Amino acid sequence: MKEWRLRPARDLGLAPAERLRSLSRERGLVGVTLNGLWRRTVRGYLAVAHSLEVEGRENLPAEPPFIMIANHCSHLDALTLAAALRGPAARQAHALAAGEVFFGTDPGAAFSAYAINALPVWRGATTRGALETLRTRLVEDRLVFILFPEGTRSRTGEMGAFQAGLARLVAGTSVPVVPCRIEGAHACWPAAQRLPRAGKLKLRIGPPLVFATTAPDAAGRHAITTACRAAVMALETSNSNEPQPEPSA
Amino acid sequence: MSTAFAHPVTVLIVFATAGTLALAAAVIGALTLTGRGSPGFRRELWLRLGSWCVLLPLMLGPVLAGREYTVLAVTLLGLLCYREYARATGLFRDRVLSAVTVLGILFANFAALDHWYGFFVALWPLTVSLLAVASIPQDRPEGYIQRVGLAVFGYMLFGAGLAHLGYMANDPNYRPIVLMLLTAVALNDVAAFTCGKLMGGPKLLPATSPNKTISGALGAVIVTGTVVVLLGRAIFTGTPMAAWHWLIPFGVLVSVAGQAGDLMLSSIKRDIGIKDMGVVLPGHGGILDRFNSLLLVSPAAFHFIGYFVGWGLGQPVRVITG
Repeated sequence: MKEWRLRPARDLGLAPAERLRSLSRERGLVGVTLNGLWRRTVRGYLAVAHSLEVEGRENLPAEPPFIMIANHCSHLDALTLAAALRGPAARQAHALAAGEVFFGTDPGAAFSAYAINALPVWRGATTRGALETLRTRLVEDRLVFILFPEGTRSRTGEMGAFQAGLARLVAGTSVPVVPCRIEGAHACWPAAQRLPRAGKLKLRIGPPLVFATTAPDAAGRHAITTACRAAVMALETSNSNEPQPEPSA
Repeated sequence: MSTAFAHPVTVLIVFATAGTLALAAAVIGALTLTGRGSPGFRRELWLRLGSWCVLLPLMLGPVLAGREYTVLAVTLLGLLCYREYARATGLFRDRVLSAVTVLGILFANFAALDHWYGFFVALWPLTVSLLAVASIPQDRPEGYIQRVGLAVFGYMLFGAGLAHLGYMANDPNYRPIVLMLLTAVALNDVAAFTCGKLMGGPKLLPATSPNKTISGALGAVIVTGTVVVLLGRAIFTGTPMAAWHWLIPFGVLVSVAGQAGDLMLSSIKRDIGIKDMGVVLPGHGGILDRFNSLLLVSPAAFHFIGYFVGWGLGQPVRVITG
Protein backbone atom coordinates (compact mmCIF):
# COMPACT_ATOMS: atom_id res chain seq x y z
CA MET A 1 0.00 0.00 0.00
CA LYS A 2 1.27 3.45 -0.86
CA GLU A 3 1.41 6.06 1.86
CA TRP A 4 -1.69 8.27 1.99
CA ARG A 5 -1.20 11.57 0.24
CA LEU A 6 -3.89 14.17 0.84
CA ARG A 7 -3.75 16.87 -1.82
CA PRO A 8 -6.21 19.69 -1.10
CA ALA A 9 -7.63 21.60 -4.04
CA ARG A 10 -5.06 24.05 -5.39
CA ASP A 11 -7.61 26.85 -5.03
CA LEU A 12 -8.61 26.01 -1.43
CA GLY A 13 -9.24 29.09 0.70
CA LEU A 14 -9.89 31.50 -2.17
CA ALA A 15 -12.99 33.71 -2.05
CA PRO A 16 -15.53 32.78 -4.76
CA ALA A 17 -14.80 35.69 -7.14
CA GLU A 18 -11.08 35.23 -6.70
CA ARG A 19 -11.39 31.51 -7.31
CA LEU A 20 -13.20 31.99 -10.62
CA ARG A 21 -10.25 34.02 -11.90
CA SER A 22 -7.51 31.86 -10.38
CA LEU A 23 -5.12 29.89 -12.56
CA SER A 24 -5.19 27.32 -9.77
CA ARG A 25 -8.93 26.75 -10.10
CA GLU A 26 -9.82 23.07 -9.91
CA ARG A 27 -13.27 21.85 -10.81
CA GLY A 28 -15.60 19.66 -8.83
CA LEU A 29 -18.64 17.68 -9.93
CA VAL A 30 -20.66 20.82 -10.73
CA GLY A 31 -17.95 22.26 -12.96
CA VAL A 32 -17.37 18.95 -14.75
CA THR A 33 -21.10 18.48 -15.36
CA LEU A 34 -21.71 22.02 -16.63
CA ASN A 35 -18.66 21.87 -18.86
CA GLY A 36 -19.78 18.48 -20.21
CA LEU A 37 -23.19 19.89 -21.11
CA TRP A 38 -21.57 22.94 -22.70
CA ARG A 39 -19.18 20.80 -24.77
CA ARG A 40 -21.99 18.66 -26.10
CA THR A 41 -24.09 21.71 -26.94
CA VAL A 42 -21.20 23.38 -28.75
CA ARG A 43 -20.34 20.18 -30.61
CA GLY A 44 -23.95 19.94 -31.80
CA TYR A 45 -24.00 23.60 -32.78
CA LEU A 46 -20.72 23.35 -34.73
CA ALA A 47 -21.98 20.27 -36.56
CA VAL A 48 -25.34 21.80 -37.48
CA ALA A 49 -24.49 25.45 -38.12
CA HIS A 50 -20.94 25.10 -39.37
CA SER A 51 -20.70 21.50 -40.69
CA LEU A 52 -17.39 21.28 -38.83
CA GLU A 53 -14.93 19.04 -40.60
CA VAL A 54 -11.92 17.79 -38.66
CA GLU A 55 -8.89 16.46 -40.47
CA GLY A 56 -5.85 14.85 -38.87
CA ARG A 57 -7.43 13.77 -35.59
CA GLU A 58 -4.95 10.87 -35.54
CA ASN A 59 -2.22 13.45 -34.84
CA LEU A 60 -3.64 14.18 -31.39
CA PRO A 61 -1.53 12.61 -28.62
CA ALA A 62 -3.16 9.56 -27.05
CA GLU A 63 -3.51 11.27 -23.68
CA PRO A 64 -2.88 14.59 -21.93
CA PRO A 65 -0.89 16.67 -21.27
CA PHE A 66 -0.54 18.58 -24.53
CA ILE A 67 -1.13 22.05 -25.94
CA MET A 68 -3.27 22.81 -28.98
CA ILE A 69 -2.38 25.98 -30.84
CA ALA A 70 -4.00 27.56 -33.87
CA ASN A 71 -4.46 30.72 -35.89
CA HIS A 72 -6.93 33.05 -34.15
CA CYS A 73 -9.48 35.35 -35.73
CA SER A 74 -12.80 34.42 -34.07
CA HIS A 75 -14.47 33.37 -30.81
CA LEU A 76 -15.35 30.17 -32.68
CA ASP A 77 -11.70 29.09 -32.63
CA ALA A 78 -11.45 27.83 -29.05
CA LEU A 79 -14.83 26.10 -29.37
CA THR A 80 -13.68 24.41 -32.58
CA LEU A 81 -10.44 23.11 -31.08
CA ALA A 82 -12.23 21.85 -27.95
CA ALA A 83 -14.85 20.12 -30.11
CA ALA A 84 -12.16 18.04 -31.80
CA LEU A 85 -11.17 16.42 -28.51
CA ARG A 86 -12.67 13.27 -27.04
CA GLY A 87 -12.43 11.37 -23.73
CA PRO A 88 -10.05 12.51 -20.98
CA ALA A 89 -8.44 15.11 -23.26
CA ALA A 90 -11.84 16.79 -23.79
CA ARG A 91 -12.53 16.79 -20.06
CA GLN A 92 -9.09 18.15 -19.23
CA ALA A 93 -9.15 20.89 -21.88
CA HIS A 94 -8.68 24.42 -20.58
CA ALA A 95 -8.84 27.36 -22.96
CA LEU A 96 -6.43 30.16 -22.10
CA ALA A 97 -8.64 33.17 -22.66
CA ALA A 98 -8.20 36.95 -22.52
CA GLY A 99 -8.96 37.95 -18.94
CA GLU A 100 -10.31 41.36 -19.96
CA VAL A 101 -12.87 39.82 -22.34
CA PHE A 102 -13.94 36.66 -20.52
CA PHE A 103 -13.33 37.39 -16.84
CA GLY A 104 -14.11 41.13 -16.62
CA THR A 105 -17.48 40.74 -14.85
CA ASP A 106 -18.52 38.17 -12.23
CA PRO A 107 -21.28 36.56 -14.37
CA GLY A 108 -18.88 36.47 -17.34
CA ALA A 109 -16.17 34.93 -15.18
CA ALA A 110 -18.63 32.32 -13.83
CA PHE A 111 -19.66 31.35 -17.36
CA SER A 112 -16.07 31.24 -18.60
CA ALA A 113 -14.98 29.16 -15.62
CA TYR A 114 -17.89 26.74 -15.34
CA ALA A 115 -19.05 26.32 -18.96
CA ILE A 116 -16.03 27.03 -21.16
CA ASN A 117 -13.52 25.92 -18.53
CA ALA A 118 -11.26 28.82 -19.44
CA LEU A 119 -8.28 30.14 -17.50
CA PRO A 120 -7.64 33.89 -17.66
CA VAL A 121 -4.54 35.40 -19.22
CA TRP A 122 -4.29 39.15 -18.68
CA ARG A 123 -2.85 41.18 -21.54
CA GLY A 124 0.57 42.55 -20.74
CA ALA A 125 0.27 41.29 -17.16
CA THR A 126 1.27 37.65 -17.46
CA THR A 127 3.83 37.31 -14.72
CA ARG A 128 6.56 34.73 -14.47
CA GLY A 129 4.62 33.27 -11.53
CA ALA A 130 1.47 32.88 -13.62
CA LEU A 131 3.39 31.08 -16.36
CA GLU A 132 5.04 28.86 -13.78
CA THR A 133 1.60 27.96 -12.34
CA LEU A 134 0.31 27.11 -15.81
CA ARG A 135 3.39 25.04 -16.57
CA THR A 136 3.14 23.14 -13.30
CA ARG A 137 -0.55 22.45 -13.72
CA LEU A 138 -0.12 21.39 -17.34
CA VAL A 139 2.33 18.66 -16.34
CA GLU A 140 1.18 17.65 -12.84
CA ASP A 141 -2.58 17.80 -13.45
CA ARG A 142 -2.17 16.39 -16.99
CA LEU A 143 -4.18 19.12 -18.67
CA VAL A 144 -4.78 20.14 -22.26
CA PHE A 145 -4.32 23.84 -22.98
CA ILE A 146 -6.02 25.47 -25.93
CA LEU A 147 -3.96 28.50 -26.71
CA PHE A 148 -3.65 31.09 -29.45
CA PRO A 149 -0.06 32.33 -29.58
CA GLU A 150 -1.01 35.45 -31.51
CA GLY A 151 -2.50 36.70 -28.25
CA THR A 152 -5.53 38.33 -29.88
CA ARG A 153 -7.99 37.76 -32.70
CA SER A 154 -6.70 38.82 -36.10
CA ARG A 155 -8.93 41.55 -37.50
CA THR A 156 -8.05 40.68 -41.11
CA GLY A 157 -8.05 36.91 -40.96
CA GLU A 158 -4.31 36.87 -41.65
CA MET A 159 -2.16 35.18 -39.01
CA GLY A 160 -0.09 37.61 -36.93
CA ALA A 161 3.20 37.16 -35.08
CA PHE A 162 3.38 34.57 -32.26
CA GLN A 163 4.13 35.70 -28.72
CA ALA A 164 6.72 34.01 -26.53
CA GLY A 165 4.36 32.77 -23.77
CA LEU A 166 3.87 29.43 -25.49
CA ALA A 167 7.62 28.87 -25.66
CA ARG A 168 7.94 29.63 -21.94
CA LEU A 169 5.36 26.95 -21.21
CA VAL A 170 6.91 24.12 -23.21
CA ALA A 171 10.66 24.79 -23.44
CA GLY A 172 12.53 21.85 -21.93
CA THR A 173 9.39 19.76 -21.30
CA SER A 174 8.11 16.71 -23.11
CA VAL A 175 4.65 18.26 -23.47
CA PRO A 176 3.69 18.06 -27.16
CA VAL A 177 2.43 21.13 -29.01
CA VAL A 178 -0.24 20.26 -31.56
CA PRO A 179 -0.44 22.79 -34.40
CA CYS A 180 -3.90 23.34 -35.85
CA ARG A 181 -5.33 25.44 -38.62
CA ILE A 182 -8.89 26.72 -38.56
CA GLU A 183 -10.49 27.87 -41.77
CA GLY A 184 -13.80 29.64 -42.21
CA ALA A 185 -14.02 31.11 -38.70
CA HIS A 186 -13.17 34.62 -39.83
CA ALA A 187 -16.00 34.58 -42.36
CA CYS A 188 -18.49 33.18 -39.80
CA TRP A 189 -17.66 35.35 -36.82
CA PRO A 190 -15.06 38.06 -37.29
CA ALA A 191 -13.96 40.16 -34.34
CA ALA A 192 -16.10 43.11 -35.40
CA GLN A 193 -19.34 41.10 -35.45
CA ARG A 194 -21.55 40.60 -32.39
CA LEU A 195 -22.91 37.15 -33.23
CA PRO A 196 -21.81 34.29 -35.47
CA ARG A 197 -23.51 33.36 -38.74
CA ALA A 198 -23.72 29.88 -40.23
CA GLY A 199 -20.96 28.78 -42.56
CA LYS A 200 -18.43 26.03 -43.19
CA LEU A 201 -15.65 25.45 -40.65
CA LYS A 202 -12.65 23.29 -41.26
CA LEU A 203 -10.05 22.22 -38.72
CA ARG A 204 -6.80 20.62 -39.75
CA ILE A 205 -4.66 19.06 -37.01
CA GLY A 206 -0.95 18.65 -37.68
CA PRO A 207 1.65 16.31 -36.16
CA PRO A 208 2.76 17.34 -32.68
CA LEU A 209 6.03 19.13 -31.97
CA VAL A 210 8.09 18.39 -28.86
CA PHE A 211 10.74 20.70 -27.42
CA ALA A 212 12.19 18.55 -24.64
CA THR A 213 15.78 19.41 -25.55
CA THR A 214 15.25 23.06 -26.37
CA ALA A 215 16.81 25.32 -23.74
CA PRO A 216 14.42 27.75 -22.04
CA ASP A 217 16.62 30.73 -22.98
CA ALA A 218 15.93 33.52 -25.47
CA ALA A 219 17.34 31.58 -28.43
CA GLY A 220 15.36 28.48 -27.48
CA ARG A 221 12.16 30.45 -27.09
CA HIS A 222 12.70 32.09 -30.46
CA ALA A 223 13.27 28.70 -32.07
CA ILE A 224 10.09 27.29 -30.50
CA THR A 225 7.97 30.30 -31.51
CA THR A 226 9.26 30.15 -35.07
CA ALA A 227 8.79 26.39 -35.37
CA CYS A 228 5.24 26.55 -34.01
CA ARG A 229 4.21 29.38 -36.31
CA ALA A 230 5.71 27.59 -39.30
CA ALA A 231 3.83 24.42 -38.34
CA VAL A 232 0.49 26.26 -38.21
CA MET A 233 1.28 28.07 -41.49
CA ALA A 234 2.14 24.77 -43.16
CA LEU A 235 -1.40 23.51 -42.49
CA GLU A 236 -2.97 26.20 -44.66
CA THR A 237 -5.01 24.68 -47.49
CA SER A 238 -2.74 26.10 -50.17
CA ASN A 239 0.27 24.55 -48.38
CA SER A 240 -1.35 21.25 -47.58
CA ASN A 241 0.36 19.40 -50.43
CA GLU A 242 3.78 20.54 -49.33
CA PRO A 243 5.77 18.24 -47.01
CA GLN A 244 4.91 18.71 -43.34
CA PRO A 245 7.71 19.82 -41.00
CA GLU A 246 9.39 16.97 -39.18
CA PRO A 247 8.52 16.97 -35.49
CA SER A 248 11.63 17.92 -33.58
CA ALA A 249 13.06 15.48 -31.09
CA MET B 1 -47.72 29.68 11.96
CA SER B 2 -49.67 28.30 14.90
CA THR B 3 -48.28 24.80 14.14
CA ALA B 4 -44.73 26.10 13.89
CA PHE B 5 -44.93 27.73 17.30
CA ALA B 6 -47.19 25.11 18.88
CA HIS B 7 -44.62 24.04 21.46
CA PRO B 8 -43.54 26.50 24.16
CA VAL B 9 -39.88 25.35 23.82
CA THR B 10 -39.96 26.39 20.15
CA VAL B 11 -41.20 29.84 21.13
CA LEU B 12 -38.62 30.07 23.89
CA ILE B 13 -35.69 29.11 21.63
CA VAL B 14 -36.70 31.42 18.78
CA PHE B 15 -37.18 34.38 21.10
CA ALA B 16 -34.01 33.62 23.07
CA THR B 17 -32.06 33.44 19.81
CA ALA B 18 -33.46 36.73 18.54
CA GLY B 19 -32.83 38.28 21.95
CA THR B 20 -29.22 37.04 22.00
CA LEU B 21 -28.59 38.54 18.57
CA ALA B 22 -30.13 41.86 19.64
CA LEU B 23 -28.08 41.86 22.84
CA ALA B 24 -24.86 41.06 20.94
CA ALA B 25 -25.60 43.89 18.48
CA ALA B 26 -26.18 46.26 21.40
CA VAL B 27 -22.92 45.25 23.11
CA ILE B 28 -20.85 45.54 19.93
CA GLY B 29 -22.64 48.80 19.12
CA ALA B 30 -21.71 50.12 22.58
CA LEU B 31 -18.08 49.05 22.05
CA THR B 32 -18.07 50.88 18.72
CA LEU B 33 -19.67 54.04 20.14
CA THR B 34 -17.35 54.21 23.14
CA GLY B 35 -14.36 53.33 20.97
CA ARG B 36 -13.32 50.36 23.14
CA GLY B 37 -11.35 47.52 21.64
CA SER B 38 -9.23 47.80 18.52
CA PRO B 39 -11.00 48.60 15.21
CA GLY B 40 -9.84 45.23 13.87
CA PHE B 41 -11.39 43.40 16.83
CA ARG B 42 -14.67 45.32 16.47
CA ARG B 43 -14.75 44.61 12.74
CA GLU B 44 -14.26 40.90 13.48
CA LEU B 45 -17.15 41.02 15.98
CA TRP B 46 -19.46 42.76 13.48
CA LEU B 47 -18.48 40.21 10.81
CA ARG B 48 -19.31 37.32 13.10
CA LEU B 49 -22.59 38.89 14.10
CA GLY B 50 -23.41 39.55 10.44
CA SER B 51 -22.72 35.90 9.61
CA TRP B 52 -25.00 34.79 12.44
CA CYS B 53 -27.76 37.15 11.23
CA VAL B 54 -27.68 35.38 7.87
CA LEU B 55 -27.11 31.89 9.25
CA LEU B 56 -29.73 31.78 11.99
CA PRO B 57 -32.74 32.49 9.76
CA LEU B 58 -31.36 29.90 7.33
CA MET B 59 -31.12 27.37 10.18
CA LEU B 60 -34.30 28.16 12.12
CA GLY B 61 -36.47 29.12 9.12
CA PRO B 62 -36.67 25.67 7.48
CA VAL B 63 -37.23 23.94 10.84
CA LEU B 64 -40.16 26.24 11.58
CA ALA B 65 -41.46 26.04 7.99
CA GLY B 66 -42.04 22.29 8.05
CA ARG B 67 -40.90 18.73 7.44
CA GLU B 68 -39.99 19.06 3.75
CA TYR B 69 -38.10 22.31 4.28
CA THR B 70 -36.12 20.79 7.14
CA VAL B 71 -35.08 17.77 5.06
CA LEU B 72 -34.20 20.07 2.14
CA ALA B 73 -32.08 22.30 4.36
CA VAL B 74 -30.25 19.28 5.83
CA THR B 75 -29.66 17.92 2.31
CA LEU B 76 -28.17 21.22 1.23
CA LEU B 77 -26.05 21.38 4.37
CA GLY B 78 -24.78 17.83 3.77
CA LEU B 79 -23.84 18.61 0.17
CA LEU B 80 -22.08 21.86 1.08
CA CYS B 81 -20.16 20.17 3.91
CA TYR B 82 -19.18 17.32 1.59
CA ARG B 83 -17.97 19.80 -1.02
CA GLU B 84 -15.63 21.43 1.51
CA TYR B 85 -14.43 18.05 2.79
CA ALA B 86 -13.81 16.70 -0.72
CA ARG B 87 -11.88 19.79 -1.79
CA ALA B 88 -9.78 19.78 1.38
CA THR B 89 -8.90 16.09 1.20
CA GLY B 90 -8.50 15.98 -2.59
CA LEU B 91 -11.27 13.38 -2.92
CA PHE B 92 -13.06 15.67 -5.40
CA ARG B 93 -10.55 14.63 -8.08
CA ASP B 94 -12.01 11.11 -7.97
CA ARG B 95 -15.10 11.97 -9.98
CA VAL B 96 -16.70 8.53 -9.76
CA LEU B 97 -16.40 8.17 -5.99
CA SER B 98 -17.40 11.78 -5.49
CA ALA B 99 -20.50 11.25 -7.61
CA VAL B 100 -21.44 8.07 -5.71
CA THR B 101 -20.97 9.85 -2.38
CA VAL B 102 -23.17 12.74 -3.51
CA LEU B 103 -25.73 10.24 -4.75
CA GLY B 104 -25.61 8.48 -1.38
CA ILE B 105 -26.16 11.79 0.43
CA LEU B 106 -29.14 12.55 -1.84
CA PHE B 107 -30.62 9.08 -1.32
CA ALA B 108 -30.19 9.19 2.48
CA ASN B 109 -32.06 12.47 2.57
CA PHE B 110 -34.65 11.16 0.14
CA ALA B 111 -35.26 8.23 2.49
CA ALA B 112 -35.77 10.78 5.27
CA LEU B 113 -38.18 12.77 3.11
CA ASP B 114 -40.02 9.62 2.17
CA HIS B 115 -40.17 8.52 5.81
CA TRP B 116 -38.85 5.10 4.80
CA TYR B 117 -36.71 3.91 7.68
CA GLY B 118 -35.89 0.55 6.06
CA PHE B 119 -34.27 2.27 3.08
CA PHE B 120 -32.65 4.86 5.36
CA VAL B 121 -30.90 2.08 7.28
CA ALA B 122 -30.15 -0.02 4.20
CA LEU B 123 -28.38 2.88 2.48
CA TRP B 124 -25.43 2.73 4.84
CA PRO B 125 -24.18 -0.75 3.79
CA LEU B 126 -25.45 -0.32 0.22
CA THR B 127 -23.63 2.97 -0.38
CA VAL B 128 -20.45 1.69 1.23
CA SER B 129 -20.60 -1.42 -0.98
CA LEU B 130 -21.09 0.76 -4.04
CA LEU B 131 -18.20 3.00 -3.01
CA ALA B 132 -16.01 -0.06 -2.57
CA VAL B 133 -16.64 -1.27 -6.12
CA ALA B 134 -17.31 1.96 -8.04
CA SER B 135 -13.70 2.79 -8.83
CA ILE B 136 -12.58 -0.78 -9.57
CA PRO B 137 -13.51 -0.68 -13.30
CA GLN B 138 -10.98 2.13 -13.73
CA ASP B 139 -8.32 -0.55 -13.15
CA ARG B 140 -6.29 1.85 -11.00
CA PRO B 141 -5.56 -0.01 -7.74
CA GLU B 142 -2.99 2.59 -6.69
CA GLY B 143 -4.51 4.73 -3.93
CA TYR B 144 -7.61 2.51 -3.75
CA ILE B 145 -7.75 2.29 0.05
CA GLN B 146 -7.20 6.02 0.44
CA ARG B 147 -9.93 7.10 -1.95
CA VAL B 148 -12.48 4.54 -0.78
CA GLY B 149 -11.63 5.30 2.86
CA LEU B 150 -12.13 9.02 2.30
CA ALA B 151 -15.37 8.48 0.42
CA VAL B 152 -16.84 6.14 3.05
CA PHE B 153 -15.87 8.59 5.81
CA GLY B 154 -17.45 11.45 3.84
CA TYR B 155 -20.66 9.52 3.22
CA MET B 156 -20.88 8.53 6.87
CA LEU B 157 -20.48 12.09 8.13
CA PHE B 158 -22.46 14.14 5.60
CA GLY B 159 -24.89 11.53 4.33
CA ALA B 160 -25.80 8.72 6.70
CA GLY B 161 -24.95 10.70 9.85
CA LEU B 162 -26.27 14.16 9.11
CA ALA B 163 -29.43 12.88 7.41
CA HIS B 164 -30.62 11.77 10.88
CA LEU B 165 -31.27 15.44 11.60
CA GLY B 166 -33.64 15.65 8.64
CA TYR B 167 -35.25 12.31 9.51
CA MET B 168 -36.28 13.74 12.88
CA ALA B 169 -38.71 16.03 10.99
CA ASN B 170 -40.97 13.00 10.42
CA ASP B 171 -42.02 13.31 14.04
CA PRO B 172 -44.84 15.79 14.67
CA ASN B 173 -42.92 17.01 17.72
CA TYR B 174 -39.62 17.55 15.84
CA ARG B 175 -39.41 21.36 15.98
CA PRO B 176 -38.46 21.84 19.65
CA ILE B 177 -36.09 18.83 19.51
CA VAL B 178 -34.21 19.96 16.39
CA LEU B 179 -34.09 23.56 17.60
CA MET B 180 -32.81 22.34 20.97
CA LEU B 181 -30.00 20.41 19.25
CA LEU B 182 -29.08 23.37 17.01
CA THR B 183 -29.03 25.67 20.04
CA ALA B 184 -27.15 23.16 22.18
CA VAL B 185 -24.26 22.72 19.72
CA ALA B 186 -23.92 26.49 19.27
CA LEU B 187 -24.05 27.02 23.02
CA ASN B 188 -21.53 24.20 23.47
CA ASP B 189 -18.90 26.11 21.46
CA VAL B 190 -19.56 29.35 23.30
CA ALA B 191 -19.55 27.65 26.72
CA ALA B 192 -16.29 25.79 26.01
CA PHE B 193 -14.66 29.03 24.83
CA THR B 194 -15.93 31.11 27.76
CA CYS B 195 -15.23 28.54 30.50
CA GLY B 196 -11.79 27.91 29.05
CA LYS B 197 -10.99 31.62 29.02
CA LEU B 198 -12.34 32.20 32.54
CA MET B 199 -10.76 29.19 34.24
CA GLY B 200 -7.74 28.41 32.07
CA GLY B 201 -5.75 25.38 33.17
CA PRO B 202 -4.24 22.52 31.19
CA LYS B 203 -4.93 22.07 27.50
CA LEU B 204 -7.30 19.33 26.40
CA LEU B 205 -5.50 18.01 23.31
CA PRO B 206 -2.85 20.60 22.41
CA ALA B 207 -1.64 18.91 19.22
CA THR B 208 -5.16 18.63 17.86
CA SER B 209 -6.63 21.94 18.96
CA PRO B 210 -4.21 24.22 20.84
CA ASN B 211 -6.87 26.59 22.23
CA LYS B 212 -9.12 24.07 23.96
CA THR B 213 -8.74 23.47 27.69
CA ILE B 214 -9.97 20.70 29.96
CA SER B 215 -11.86 23.29 32.02
CA GLY B 216 -13.57 24.55 28.85
CA ALA B 217 -14.61 21.04 27.86
CA LEU B 218 -16.00 20.24 31.31
CA GLY B 219 -17.67 23.65 31.57
CA ALA B 220 -19.37 23.06 28.23
CA VAL B 221 -20.63 19.66 29.41
CA ILE B 222 -22.14 21.30 32.50
CA VAL B 223 -23.65 24.35 30.74
CA THR B 224 -24.92 22.58 27.62
CA GLY B 225 -25.93 19.51 29.59
CA THR B 226 -28.00 21.64 31.98
CA VAL B 227 -29.75 23.49 29.16
CA VAL B 228 -30.50 20.24 27.32
CA VAL B 229 -31.80 18.62 30.52
CA LEU B 230 -34.11 21.58 31.30
CA LEU B 231 -35.40 21.89 27.73
CA GLY B 232 -35.66 18.09 27.43
CA ARG B 233 -37.74 17.99 30.61
CA ALA B 234 -40.30 20.26 28.89
CA ILE B 235 -40.08 18.55 25.50
CA PHE B 236 -40.28 14.91 26.61
CA THR B 237 -42.96 15.27 29.29
CA GLY B 238 -44.97 12.06 29.59
CA THR B 239 -42.30 9.85 27.99
CA PRO B 240 -39.60 7.70 29.62
CA MET B 241 -37.05 10.29 28.41
CA ALA B 242 -38.42 12.82 30.89
CA ALA B 243 -36.80 10.90 33.78
CA TRP B 244 -33.75 12.71 35.17
CA HIS B 245 -31.62 9.58 34.99
CA TRP B 246 -32.12 9.52 31.20
CA LEU B 247 -32.12 13.25 30.59
CA ILE B 248 -28.77 13.81 32.31
CA PRO B 249 -26.84 11.24 30.22
CA PHE B 250 -28.61 12.66 27.18
CA GLY B 251 -27.41 16.19 28.01
CA VAL B 252 -23.87 14.91 28.53
CA LEU B 253 -24.07 12.93 25.27
CA VAL B 254 -25.11 16.01 23.25
CA SER B 255 -22.27 18.08 24.68
CA VAL B 256 -19.62 15.36 24.35
CA ALA B 257 -20.71 14.42 20.80
CA GLY B 258 -20.67 18.10 19.85
CA GLN B 259 -17.16 18.57 21.18
CA ALA B 260 -16.05 15.30 19.59
CA GLY B 261 -17.29 16.57 16.21
CA ASP B 262 -15.29 19.75 16.71
CA LEU B 263 -12.15 17.79 17.61
CA MET B 264 -12.73 15.45 14.69
CA LEU B 265 -12.70 18.37 12.24
CA SER B 266 -9.65 19.81 13.99
CA SER B 267 -7.90 16.47 13.48
CA ILE B 268 -8.82 16.48 9.78
CA LYS B 269 -7.56 20.04 9.35
CA ARG B 270 -4.35 19.38 11.28
CA ASP B 271 -3.69 16.25 9.25
CA ILE B 272 -4.11 18.13 5.97
CA GLY B 273 -2.34 21.22 7.29
CA ILE B 274 -5.05 23.84 6.72
CA LYS B 275 -6.61 26.37 9.08
CA ASP B 276 -10.18 26.62 7.79
CA MET B 277 -12.23 24.41 5.53
CA GLY B 278 -13.45 27.35 3.46
CA VAL B 279 -14.13 31.06 3.34
CA VAL B 280 -17.90 31.10 2.90
CA LEU B 281 -18.79 32.49 6.34
CA PRO B 282 -16.90 35.66 7.25
CA GLY B 283 -15.51 35.33 10.77
CA HIS B 284 -16.18 31.58 10.91
CA GLY B 285 -14.37 30.05 7.93
CA GLY B 286 -16.13 27.32 6.04
CA ILE B 287 -19.55 25.79 6.53
CA LEU B 288 -17.94 22.74 8.13
CA ASP B 289 -16.11 24.96 10.61
CA ARG B 290 -19.53 26.11 11.82
CA PHE B 291 -21.50 22.86 11.63
CA ASN B 292 -18.86 20.28 12.63
CA SER B 293 -20.50 19.72 16.04
CA LEU B 294 -23.78 18.72 14.44
CA LEU B 295 -22.23 15.82 12.51
CA LEU B 296 -21.93 13.43 15.44
CA VAL B 297 -24.72 14.90 17.57
CA SER B 298 -27.38 14.13 14.94
CA PRO B 299 -27.10 10.32 14.87
CA ALA B 300 -26.27 10.08 18.59
CA ALA B 301 -29.29 12.14 19.68
CA PHE B 302 -31.53 10.46 17.09
CA HIS B 303 -30.88 6.96 18.39
CA PHE B 304 -30.96 7.95 22.06
CA ILE B 305 -34.37 9.59 21.66
CA GLY B 306 -35.43 6.84 19.25
CA TYR B 307 -34.73 4.19 21.89
CA PHE B 308 -36.93 5.82 24.54
CA VAL B 309 -39.53 7.73 22.54
CA GLY B 310 -39.31 6.71 18.87
CA TRP B 311 -39.55 8.90 15.78
CA GLY B 312 -42.67 9.58 13.74
CA LEU B 313 -44.58 6.67 15.24
CA GLY B 314 -48.07 6.50 13.79
CA GLN B 315 -47.16 8.93 11.01
CA PRO B 316 -47.67 7.92 7.36
CA VAL B 317 -44.62 6.09 6.01
CA ARG B 318 -43.21 5.95 2.45
CA VAL B 319 -45.11 9.10 1.61
CA ILE B 320 -43.49 9.39 -1.83
CA THR B 321 -42.73 5.82 -2.88
CA GLY B 322 -46.03 4.59 -1.48
